[in-house]
Amino acid sequence: MPRTARTPRSARTAGAVAVALAAALALTACGSDGGGSASPAKVVQQKSDSPYEGTVLGKHFDKPDLQLTDTSGQPYDLRQKTNGRTTLLFFGYTSCPDVCPTTMGDIGVAMKKLSPEERQKVDVVFVSTDPQRDTPQVLRTWLDSMGSDFIGLTGDLGKVKAAAKALGILIEDPVVNGDGTVTSTHGAQVLAFLPSDDKAHLLYLSGTDVKTFEHDLPLLAKGVAA
Amino acid sequence: MKGSLGFRRTALAGAALATALGGGAFLVACGTGGQDGAAAATASGTPARLSVADSYIPLPPAGGMAAGYLTVRNDGGQGDELVKVSSPGASSVTMHRSTASTMEQVEKLDVPAHGALQLARGGTHLMIMGWQKAPALGDELELDLTFARTGTISVKVPVKELTYRPGQQ
Repeated sequence: MPRTARTPRSARTAGAVAVALAAALALTACGSDGGGSASPAKVVQQKSDSPYEGTVLGKHFDKPDLQLTDTSGQPYDLRQKTNGRTTLLFFGYTSCPDVCPTTMGDIGVAMKKLSPEERQKVDVVFVSTDPQRDTPQVLRTWLDSMGSDFIGLTGDLGKVKAAAKALGILIEDPVVNGDGTVTSTHGAQVLAFLPSDDKAHLLYLSGTDVKTFEHDLPLLAKGVAA
Repeated sequence: MKGSLGFRRTALAGAALATALGGGAFLVACGTGGQDGAAAATASGTPARLSVADSYIPLPPAGGMAAGYLTVRNDGGQGDELVKVSSPGASSVTMHRSTASTMEQVEKLDVPAHGALQLARGGTHLMIMGWQKAPALGDELELDLTFARTGTISVKVPVKELTYRPGQQ
């Protein structure tokens, strides 16, 4: 792999959609194994000289300014509570049968492989996109299956949507189906914020192998630069 | 005389049965690779031959909203479609496809000839609701899979750990 200087700054102005697209491209390129040479390699190179297996973000999103309610029913200010801490952030809902429990379950498995000291340095935050049904108690019961120290937040959906949008994640209002069931939106990605600057540096698309989380979590806990 | 005729008929019936069994064995041999070109050529028009493998239900984190995953293999030369799934142990089983950020219900799923339909995490899956009894590790739920051509295949699907993947312990 040819090595060129990373230029994440040039990507700063790119919109969230562009970042997500780049991430998808990076994954595609990796899957087809590159082949070596020249052109479509910018994002891949950025990835390959990072110690992380997750997708390195060109745009470092700020941690959203989000005040909601935690699973004990207390107010929770995301920026304040997770200030200077490694933070994994996922938007989802508990009646989501496939992507949400798979993603959070895999993070749970990887978290259990950390030493207690490492684990203490990482906050895993699940923000509900279905606050109507995801009460603090419902969230707690659901999260306990994956990590009893996982943080669950619920509250005003407008705030949740705004916070997600700032991260390039589109959350829509829950839709009531013909048979009375409700379909909500979940994020397609987990964002990892580093303790050094409280900004998002890594992205894990849904479908990320649990081994990737197992590889990256110790680095994230240490706050290793991406 | 009459008696011996009767015996003869019985013997013929026995021979027919033996032939049928032989035919069955031959078909199985075709399915596993065939021995000659002619057999392979006719196999391309054979009806769908479905089997279900790797089925599991991850234990839902809470409540009765579960996903179901499985693979339907088709060793036949004609495609089929999964058109309905039901269960005596759950009031609602629907087919869904996960998109980037949500999921959509689908009415039917193709099982291609000489191919497979895979229901897997992050993709097409079954959504199982209204459990008669809250699922627990080690339980088995009967799922009745109805296909447009083949009819209904019933499978017992085990409830596995939340993060289980086929091929791992």
